[in-house]
Amino acid sequence: MSSALDRQVRPIYGNSARLTIPNAYSPASTDALDMGSNKSAIVACTKLLKKNPKNALIKALKALALVRSQKVEESLVLCDEVLELKPTDDAVLSAMMHVLRGLGRRWPDNDTVLMFEEAYKQQPTNEELGAQTFFANVRAGRWKSAQQIATKMFKQFQEDRYLYWSVISAVLQANDSTTPPSMKTILYKLAHRLITSSPTPSYQNTDRFHLHLSILKELELYDDAHKLLDSEIGKAVCSTSLSCNEIRRDIWRSRGMVKDEGELATHRILHLKDRNWLEFLSVLDATFSYFTSSEAEGSSTSKSGCLEHVKKTQELFTQIAQDDGPKDRSAALALLELEKRARTHGVSQDSTRLVGLMQQYFAQVGDKPCCFEDLKPYLALTEDQLSKWTSYLQTQITTSTDPKKLQRLINAHKLLRHNLNHLETTVEAETARATLYIGQYLEGLELGLDLPPTELQYADDLALMAGNVLVNLWKLTSDEQYLLNAVALLEFALTRSKQSFQVRLILIRLHRLLGAPALALEHYRAMGVKQVQNDTLSHLLLSRASTFSLASTGDLTLASECLESTQIYLSNSQETADFVVRAFTGEKYSQIPEFIIFEEHLDNSLQRDIVKMEHLRMRLTHEQITSDLIDMELIEMKFIFDRGVSRIAESKHVWLWTLLKVYIRAFQQGSDLDDTVEEKLLIGDRPKPAYDIQGRLPLRQRLTQSTTEELAELTEDESLFVNFARALADWLEPYHDYARPPPSVVLAEAAKQTELKTGYPLKGVDLEVLNGASSPHKKDEEPPAVIDPPKVVTEFFKILNTRFAEIQKNSSPVEALHIATLGQEALLLFTIETMRFKSAAVVKANKFGALVTSFKSIRSDAITILRNISGKLIKESELSATQENRKAFVDACALVINAGIDHDFTLGVAKRITDARKKVTEGVGKGLGRVCSSYAH
Amino acid sequence: MSVLRPFKASDMFKFNNINLDIWTETYGIGFYLSYLSRWPDLCCVQEAPSGRMMGYGMCLPTSTSLMNTTRSFARFTVIGKAEGNNTEWHGHVTAITVAPEYRRLGLARKMMGLLEMVSDEIYKGFFVDLYVRCANSVAIDMYEGMGYSVYRRVREYYGNIGVGKGGRDEEDAFDMRKPMSRDPRRRSVRSNGRDMIVSAHDVS
Repeated sequence: MSSALDRQVRPIYGNSARLTIPNAYSPASTDALDMGSNKSAIVACTKLLKKNPKNALIKALKALALVRSQKVEESLVLCDEVLELKPTDDAVLSAMMHVLRGLGRRWPDNDTVLMFEEAYKQQPTNEELGAQTFFANVRAGRWKSAQQIATKMFKQFQEDRYLYWSVISAVLQANDSTTPPSMKTILYKLAHRLITSSPTPSYQNTDRFHLHLSILKELELYDDAHKLLDSEIGKAVCSTSLSCNEIRRDIWRSRGMVKDEGELATHRILHLKDRNWLEFLSVLDATFSYFTSSEAEGSSTSKSGCLEHVKKTQELFTQIAQDDGPKDRSAALALLELEKRARTHGVSQDSTRLVGLMQQYFAQVGDKPCCFEDLKPYLALTEDQLSKWTSYLQTQITTSTDPKKLQRLINAHKLLRHNLNHLETTVEAETARATLYIGQYLEGLELGLDLPPTELQYADDLALMAGNVLVNLWKLTSDEQYLLNAVALLEFALTRSKQSFQVRLILIRLHRLLGAPALALEHYRAMGVKQVQNDTLSHLLLSRASTFSLASTGDLTLASECLESTQIYLSNSQETADFVVRAFTGEKYSQIPEFIIFEEHLDNSLQRDIVKMEHLRMRLTHEQITSDLIDMELIEMKFIFDRGVSRIAESKHVWLWTLLKVYIRAFQQGSDLDDTVEEKLLIGDRPKPAYDIQGRLPLRQRLTQSTTEELAELTEDESLFVNFARALADWLEPYHDYARPPPSVVLAEAAKQTELKTGYPLKGVDLEVLNGASSPHKKDEEPPAVIDPPKVVTEFFKILNTRFAEIQKNSSPVEALHIATLGQEALLLFTIETMRFKSAAVVKANKFGALVTSFKSIRSDAITILRNISGKLIKESELSATQENRKAFVDACALVINAGIDHDFTLGVAKRITDARKKVTEGVGKGLGRVCSSYAH
Repeated sequence: MSVLRPFKASDMFKFNNINLDIWTETYGIGFYLSYLSRWPDLCCVQEAPSGRMMGYGMCLPTSTSLMNTTRSFARFTVIGKAEGNNTEWHGHVTAITVAPEYRRLGLARKMMGLLEMVSDEIYKGFFVDLYVRCANSVAIDMYEGMGYSVYRRVREYYGNIGVGKGGRDEEDAFDMRKPMSRDPRRRSVRSNGRDMIVSAHDVS
């Protein structure tokens, strides 16, 4: 490029350095053209293209600006032009990489890969281009071609690194979900052959060594692995690398070297003062290695050998426990584990020893919060041992005069509670416990008066336990007053321990149960959930959140929470692959499989799909339902469905599975897009097919499959809704199928629209079919005869109305909201299903007049009932935040107030909860009214 | 008793009990992945036998004094070259954190031990350093017990929480250092470090 042109192009993408091909050192995402300047970039490019009509870089930049301005069709045209030029220039390739990423063309044909492969073919001596081609394959997860390219690069450039790239690519291919299991060993053998051909030994680099060991381990070549590990260098590497040592331990065990491993661990514990629990486990495994799996009970010789070893190990641990004292609890706990395993193998000498050790352990570690968790695996005791243990713990329940004593008290309570049987958890006993815990909690607070506000109170666990007991009481009695008590107590605990996220976690759930979603949201936000935490925590707030959504009134708070929580999935798909590439350049092979697991985990996150489903349910109450909306959501839902086939089935998350099927079916019926049309029109990624794709049933059949267990995960009212949706779809399917225009017409129509919009025709679409097809087309066969709607459909809203009347006496509005929003959802689904028949022309041409009459009566019934529910909710809301209600709330909280929680504080909590209830009932009620008005005809 | 093992990318799905504590920041996934893609041997986890995460530590080798982790993120380009005889070459502990319920068990000490060993033996650093709130006397005592000493005081290092009860001590940080085997003459530390005051801008 001439320097003059270069000067003109540069301002288009600002700092040109940022647009170079991302390598190991550039930041994860390069925002070459920031959002604001796309428009001016397009103008500048258009101007420059007039003078330099063939310049690939300008075209690529314009394509980038276009794709970032959502002008996908126009960008595609330019993009194809540039690809046809087969660019090899760095800047062009880099810009194109961003364009293609924006267009999402990754599967089934990965244009980025093809582009780089083409460029590399033209310049086979260009090492950088080779590496970029390799990385393009890596990003696309195409391990087979990655492996081939790396092998070629190794031959040509003689860099060991490339050989290792090909080795790990083979390993990754072996582990890929699209690889048939039968190929796995073959690929590992290939990796093994490659790595043993390396001119330099793998131990020169920790991660190469790790890779080598993992291949040997997979192929069970333990002797070869042992040879590597037994070398001086091998030992040195394992002594400083946790990951190599981890794999060494596995290999030794698999090779039957359990005793050697035990000796090495003993050495590390004794002489290197290593207190890694893994070392203790190695000693324990060696101690009990006398019993092989073939002799379950163990012969007398193996028993005596083991007995001897148990004694030795016991001495070792006892000694270490004495030496370490309170500084380190590993040996003390190892003694417990030793006794437990001795019992399992029938070599325990003393049946009272375990409880004795537990008491010793409690005496030593009881003042640490981890004591309970440490002892948990040992709590399954025989009756007499349990009573001994219980009476010991009861002596530990004393007044706490310092934080350590308080911690002992807490641990004793937790351990006692863990072993309660159902006879001991009666309403009376639990009530007494709640009172006891709260009393001791309030006393315990005295010990932490001087703590800074950022610290947690020593007594927090007592409040959490009391909360737990109260929730259990609610479970036992279904009496809401216990939840109110729990909320009052925990809200109080939070004023004393402002940073206690444990308290907040329970409060979020409680506020949802009590129908105060605004307060749940408040606590959720206060936890500061961000980044990857969204994947693991957003369920607290967002599962079934559409029950509380006020999107129907225009309040998009929860809907935007849905969108925000899914940002992490975007970051993952944009960033993680870059780090895989970085791990390649830095030769951190141990990390590459881990990164890929991480990426796939987020990409296939169930939570992501659940949130998407909730968002859709909220969206439909807010936006006008149009055929565009139906088409877009259909595509997205199908994507999720296909991606999730094995995953959702595996995790048995049938709730999501069931709703997905309901919506896909409704959208599919309402839409004109069939698979062939979608294939032509859709730009963007498809789910990567698993290797068993051929074995699957067609989508339509899969959608109508259902099992009885599906309904088990739904609430009673959700089941009603799902049955309604299924019956509705079954009823209307033949009419939709008959009235839907043929794919060629849909496609031609879409092509026409695209041309009108962008000035470019869609490739490969025949517009001829449109001639004479402006009116509904003629069909050869007769339209299906109209039959009456099934009873499940016509009766649904009436049943719902009865259900609503039944639960209205509950003081928590949650169920009422649940029923109301499901009714609303049913109306919206009905609207989607019947939209096609809004057109008088369609009805007339297909003789569907009787169908439309049925719709009218179903709709008007629905509207009447939903309006009635809406009115009741609004009326309810007016009554909910009154002084009497607050007083009733406070009266219900007698348990915690009597135990010492302030009356006025409780009144304040009552006010906030009743206000939150008012807000949500009123909102849902009014929103439902609005939805009824929008779809009344 | 706890398992000391390498930090893995998917540990990000398990660290809520540690990261929901206000003193522990949750960064974007790129932060953790970038450490793991460069210095996986300097990233470790303490885990209970039940599989629950108890704490984790992360460290990076560098030759510049690092203001904080997010800024260091942008600096990775220079790091590889700095290795060698530069006496500023050291291991910088960016994160060492333990869930509230597992504190006072010596976990931080164990993780520091590992990070020091790797910084010393693998990366051949001259010293290991870390930043700690001047008000956090418990931590300072602990680090001193482990052989660290104050090298300097950094003004307003912790801006995020604001001046609290402890006044300046809440915001200022001590840069604490411990010499490694390559620095037998202890040139990387000094005895009057508490009086050496620099502003946050000087160390960034």
